Amino acid sequence: MMQQIQPGPVAATPAASTNHPDSGAPAVEAPPKQVATAMERLSRAARLIADIRIGADRLLEALFLAAESPHQSNKIIQFLVKEESVMRQYFQDLRVLGKQLEDSGVLNGSLKSRGNSWGLHMPLVCPDGAVVAYAWKRQLAGQAGASAVDRTRLALKAFTDQKRRFFPHLEDEAFCIDRGLVTAKKFRGSQGLVTGHRDLLNKEGSVSDIITNLQLMAPDVRIFTYQRLDWLKRASALSTDHPGSSSNEHTYQNSNNLRSGLGNTVVLAADQIAVIELLVPSVFRAVVSLHPAGSMSPEAVAFFSTDEGGNYVHSRGLSVFHVFKHITGHADKALQYFQSVDMDISLSLLLRWICSYRTLFTDACSKCQRLLMMDKSLALVLPPVHRTYQITSATKTSPNQLPSSDKSQSCDFIFAYHIGCAADDT
Amino acid sequence: MTVKWMLHWQPKPGTTLSTQILTEACQCVESIGGQKDGRWRSVLTFYRPIQRDTLAPLEHPRDFLGLALQEQPFKYYFILRSNRIVVEADASIQAVMEKLQSYKARVTLHFEGFQYKLGDFQVRVGKCVPAMAENLRGIMMEVEYLPLSSIEKSRPVLEEFFDMWQEALSKKSLPGHFMHIESNFADYGLQDRYSSQHTAVQYATCMIQLMAAVRT
Repeated sequence: MMQQIQPGPVAATPAASTNHPDSGAPAVEAPPKQVATAMERLSRAARLIADIRIGADRLLEALFLAAESPHQSNKIIQFLVKEESVMRQYFQDLRVLGKQLEDSGVLNGSLKSRGNSWGLHMPLVCPDGAVVAYAWKRQLAGQAGASAVDRTRLALKAFTDQKRRFFPHLEDEAFCIDRGLVTAKKFRGSQGLVTGHRDLLNKEGSVSDIITNLQLMAPDVRIFTYQRLDWLKRASALSTDHPGSSSNEHTYQNSNNLRSGLGNTVVLAADQIAVIELLVPSVFRAVVSLHPAGSMSPEAVAFFSTDEGGNYVHSRGLSVFHVFKHITGHADKALQYFQSVDMDISLSLLLRWICSYRTLFTDACSKCQRLLMMDKSLALVLPPVHRTYQITSATKTSPNQLPSSDKSQSCDFIFAYHIGCAADDT
Repeated sequence: MTVKWMLHWQPKPGTTLSTQILTEACQCVESIGGQKDGRWRSVLTFYRPIQRDTLAPLEHPRDFLGLALQEQPFKYYFILRSNRIVVEADASIQAVMEKLQSYKARVTLHFEGFQYKLGDFQVRVGKCVPAMAENLRGIMMEVEYLPLSSIEKSRPVLEEFFDMWQEALSKKSLPGHFMHIESNFADYGLQDRYSSQHTAVQYATCMIQLMAAVRT
C-alpha cells in the first residue's frame, strides 16, 4: 500500500487532523483533499475497467483467429500469454484501488443509508459523515431563487467554516470585515436590540443552556438532541411506526444510552450533539444540524409535518407538504441572516425563531389578519409561513424594556406573514 | 390520518336538488386552483335485523349503518347512532353477515364524485344516490388538510378554508349553501387524532341532515 489511510473510528479523524498536522507518514488528509484523491482514484478505476474490457475483447479476437487459422497458432499463443499477464496486472491494480477506496470511506454502506433527497450525486468522501466540500452546493441547489448576495454569503460561510475547522490558529479577520460591511448599512438601528439580546444570549454557554432557556420560554416545544447517525435511525423509525399511533411524538428511547432525562429535554454529552429536533406535537417537527458536531454553529434546518417519517427527514431534506417546503426555504434565509449578524448566538436566535412557528396554524397574518391566504402565483392556499427574522428599527422595542429575567420577550418581534403579505423583502 | 371535514348541501327551503349544483361546485373548486385527481366513492348501507320470530321482542338494535370507504379498501365500518358506537371491522364481515342472515341490507346509498388536489388540501365533491336508482338524494363535500392529524389543531385552518369556500361559491348564487355539522367524537369514544372511524361518525351525522333535508 502506498498511502496509509486510517479507517475505523471516524470521530477521531478531524481531531487527528487538527491536533497532529505534522505527525509524519500516517497523517490524514483534510476532506477536500480526500475528495480530490477519491475522485482521482475513481477515474483511475474507470480507466482500468475500460482497459480490462478491451483486453477481454482482444482475447476473444485472438481465440477467433486461432480457430480460423490454425497455422498461426504459435504467434497467437504468445499473444494470449502476454495479454493474460497484462490482464492479471489490471485486475491486481483494480483490487488495490478498490481497497484504497473502501478504506477511505467511499464505498461503504454508511454513506448510502444517509439518503439524498436533492437527487444530486453523493458527496464522495467524508469519513466522519459530515458533508464538507459540497455542502454549500447542495444548499444552493434547493434555493433557485436565492439572490447573488445570498449565494455569495453561503459560499463564504462554507469556506470560512472549513478554514476555521482546519486552520483554527489563523485569525478570522476576513469574516469580521464581511460582517461589518453587511450589517452596517441595513441594520444600523438594530444594534441596540441585538446587543440587548446578546447580553442574555451570550450567557448561554452551551447547547444545553440554550435548550433549558427555550423550554422555559416555550414549554409546548419538545426538544431532543442526537448524534448524527442516531437521528437517521430515528427518522427511519418514524416512517415505520403505525400511522394510527402517536408514537412519533413520544420520546425515542436509545439503547446506546448516553442520555440523561431533563424533563422533556434529553441531553447528550455536549460534544456529541450533531442534530437537534424541535417537536411541537401535531404542528411541526424541525430538524437542525450542527457542524461540526458538538459545536454551536447551525449548519442547516428543515421543517416537516409530525406525521412524516423516512430517510428524507433530516436537516437537508424537504417535506412533501407545500406549507413546510416554504417554511424550510424561508428558514434557510433566516439562518444565513442570523449567522451574518452574530455567529456566536446564531444557534440561539435560530432555535427561538423556530419556536415562533408553534402558532403556525393558529395565528393570523399580521398584515391581512387572516389565517389562510390563496397565493395566486403559487396557486396554493397557505397559512402565514413567513416569520420575520430581520431585526429592523421598525420592529424593535426599546432595549430598556427587555428585563433579563423575562425569557418570553425574545419572540415579541417575530411577526407572522403570508408569502404575499410580507412587509419587506425577506 | 389527516383531518377531514364533511360538508353537506343545505338547499333553500322550497327548492329542489339538481346535478347543476354539483357541476357548479366542481367548477368552483377548479376556479380556485383545484387539480382533478380522480373519482371517489363511499357506500353507505342501512341494515335492518331479520326477525325469524316476529312475536319475540327485539333484542338487537333496530337498525344500524355500515360504511365502506374508498381509502380503506380492507375495512368496513359500523355505526350505531342510538348507542353511540362505531366499530372498525375487516371487509370480510359483509360476507359473514350474509351467511349469518341476521341482518338485511335495507337501503344502500352511493356517495360518488370527483376528487381535487388544492396544494395541501384535498377536496372531494360528490352526490348521494341510491344504489339502484338515479334520483339525487344529496350533495356532499369532503375537505381534508393533509399536513395535520389533530382535530383541535386543524380546526382554525379548516374553518377558514370553509369560509373561503363559501365566499367563492356565493358568487354563483346557488339556491342553498354548504354546511358543516360538528360531530361529537367524544361521545363515540374517539380521540383527538383523526382516523377513519371519525369519518364514519361524520357520515352518520350527515345522514341525519340529508334525510331531514329531503323531507322538507
